[in-house]
Amino acid sequence: MTEKERKVVQIPEITRVEGHSAVAIEIEDGVVTDVKLDVFEGTRFFEQIVLGHKFDELPHITSRVCAICSTGHVLAAIFAVERIFGFAPQPQELMLRELMHLGMIIESHATHICALALPDFLKTPDLVSFATEHKDEFLIWTKLRALGAAVQTLVGGRPFHPVNLHVGGVSKIPDYASLRSLKKDLLDSLQLSITLAELVLTFEPPVRRLTEPEFLCLIPKDKHYGYFGDVIKSTEGWERSIQEYQSYLLEEVVAYSHAKRSTVAGKPIMVGSMARLAMFSDRLEGEAANLYKGSPLAKGDHNTIWNNAAQAIEVVQAIQRAAALVDEIVSIKRKDIPLSARDALKPVAGRGAGAVECPRGTLYHFYEVDEKHSIVKADMITPSAQNTARIELDIKEVVASNAGGDTLMPNLETLVRAYDPCNTCATHMVSVNNKSKIKGDQCSAT
Amino acid sequence: MQSNLKPAKTIPTVSVQSLTGCAGELLVILENLQKMLPYVRLQSFPFAQSTNNNGPVDITFIEGSVSNPHDLEKLKGLRERSKRIVAVGNCAVWGCVQKGACSRMAVEEMRKKVYGELSSFAVMPASRLEDHVRVDVKLSGCPIDSTQLLAVTASLLKDHLPYVTQKPVCLECKLRENPCILIEQDLPCLGPVTAAGCGALCPSVGAPCYGCWGPSEEPQIDAMAHVLMEKGFTLTDILNRLQAFGAPPELFSRLNQLQDLAQQANTGK
Repeated sequence: MTEKERKVVQIPEITRVEGHSAVAIEIEDGVVTDVKLDVFEGTRFFEQIVLGHKFDELPHITSRVCAICSTGHVLAAIFAVERIFGFAPQPQELMLRELMHLGMIIESHATHICALALPDFLKTPDLVSFATEHKDEFLIWTKLRALGAAVQTLVGGRPFHPVNLHVGGVSKIPDYASLRSLKKDLLDSLQLSITLAELVLTFEPPVRRLTEPEFLCLIPKDKHYGYFGDVIKSTEGWERSIQEYQSYLLEEVVAYSHAKRSTVAGKPIMVGSMARLAMFSDRLEGEAANLYKGSPLAKGDHNTIWNNAAQAIEVVQAIQRAAALVDEIVSIKRKDIPLSARDALKPVAGRGAGAVECPRGTLYHFYEVDEKHSIVKADMITPSAQNTARIELDIKEVVASNAGGDTLMPNLETLVRAYDPCNTCATHMVSVNNKSKIKGDQCSAT
Repeated sequence: MQSNLKPAKTIPTVSVQSLTGCAGELLVILENLQKMLPYVRLQSFPFAQSTNNNGPVDITFIEGSVSNPHDLEKLKGLRERSKRIVAVGNCAVWGCVQKGACSRMAVEEMRKKVYGELSSFAVMPASRLEDHVRVDVKLSGCPIDSTQLLAVTASLLKDHLPYVTQKPVCLECKLRENPCILIEQDLPCLGPVTAAGCGALCPSVGAPCYGCWGPSEEPQIDAMAHVLMEKGFTLTDILNRLQAFGAPPELFSRLNQLQDLAQQANTGK
């Protein structure tokens, strides 16, 4: 009897991603038998942390799940609670929230593309060489990052963990003169974002997955390329209300990782920029539409690595849309109402879900509020948890179709990075290290 | 030791590390890196670069709380290799919202509620860096303030331990001439017992401070609770709000006694 040749290939810690994760690939007789993305970011049990707190405290706490997408975690919580209360915000309020969200999209995407993904293609080992040998690209990043931060600071009060967004509306409408000056900054940076997108589109993907993913995303309520909605749609053709998210998304805990993973009908899914473009690229405007039309994405090439380009196109669209939004916001007559005089907001007991398209994909929050206006049940499903199963499948497909060699491991890191995985988000609550699989119901917080 | 008046022979090395948190401090450090790079050599920053050196280092910035054995092991290793450790952000200095929850609930209970009675993996209550190792500088904030970060770094480059203010938010709020929303709007503003440094951000947009920088020096917790009770907030609600961002449980011993008494009175009826 000969022993099967069995080896385990590992990336002990993936650098340049949010949080901490590792990859282990098991190969038997040259065939990949198993791929494990181990997220070892510490657990914080957010669904437990929020319990007992009043609804007005909720957005400030959920914000702390993740800094770079804090605006998303704040808005998802606000949308869920306002749905429970049956509260409809004023049109200007919705515009301010969208502007804030676009600020996050710009900052998060720019940081991911430039600081985390780009070094693989520019071949810079560290930040100093990036900053000194590729001054132009480094400058694009610092300027776009600062632009996204400026949008969020003006609307939300600081670059992340906003202080001005509440259930019921902003506590202070931003100064109109500052908004007009922000519009100028946005338009001044448009060309930088176009240059960045053009650059990212020149990078040929070093690896290729074999199968087409199922994409999922929220369909925006209005006619614009947007990030808020109540209905989720799949490229497989089905659509559902986010209130029924538990009926189509199965969250599962696996023994080897701190992150949950979600599947639809047992199959991996992909969420994020590429999913949004696959679903409503026809809503892109101006330069963003042109860039998309000339990209491999428009020809149906859904190579994972193109997610970097998809993000870059979204930055261009976000800057254009944010500038237009400023005009709409300042066209409305200012009406400041103190936080203590919000009579339209009538807290009641109930349960409901809220969702937003975060930079990395759909984020779901679910809450139950009791008659004392305290949170008694909570659930959160993050984009990274939804992408994890697909990341593992991608790795499997790439390893299976690759002869190996020295470039395989760094290329796999590039592949994982293209998903922009946010492990701080993915492990918002979960930690497991026991041997057997724990499934569905036992681990669900709801 | 050489005299500080002589120019340094080598450029000080800096390392930026994270434990369990939201990675916010990494973003703040990243955005300020351009200002720091002329004066320091970046030795390790796994969030932002792939080539990192894990040898001895002059200054290590650490964000995040200690929330599992892996965090603790990493922190101890960093302490051994670092001349100075700067705890950055509320997570590292106070434990943030994960500590706030652990002050109210047993972490094993949280695990059981999420995974059922059969779950067996090890959990650690979220804790501060200084609960485990010596910390040279504590720079709180959620996120930290850029100006404070640069000031702390500049001090350390001169081998001088900086002073970081822990005066209450009210001080900064008065300097901005904001109307007091605790008194005038009856909103549960925690500014009187929360450390300043943010520039009174929340009250400046008409919202109550929720304590994200952790407690101020000598926080008058009982007086704060008294004021909020007069405004109709329940003791449970007050305790939840005050502890949410990781304020140490020992600050609340009298309030907890009061709550126990109230509960006994209720059950005695």
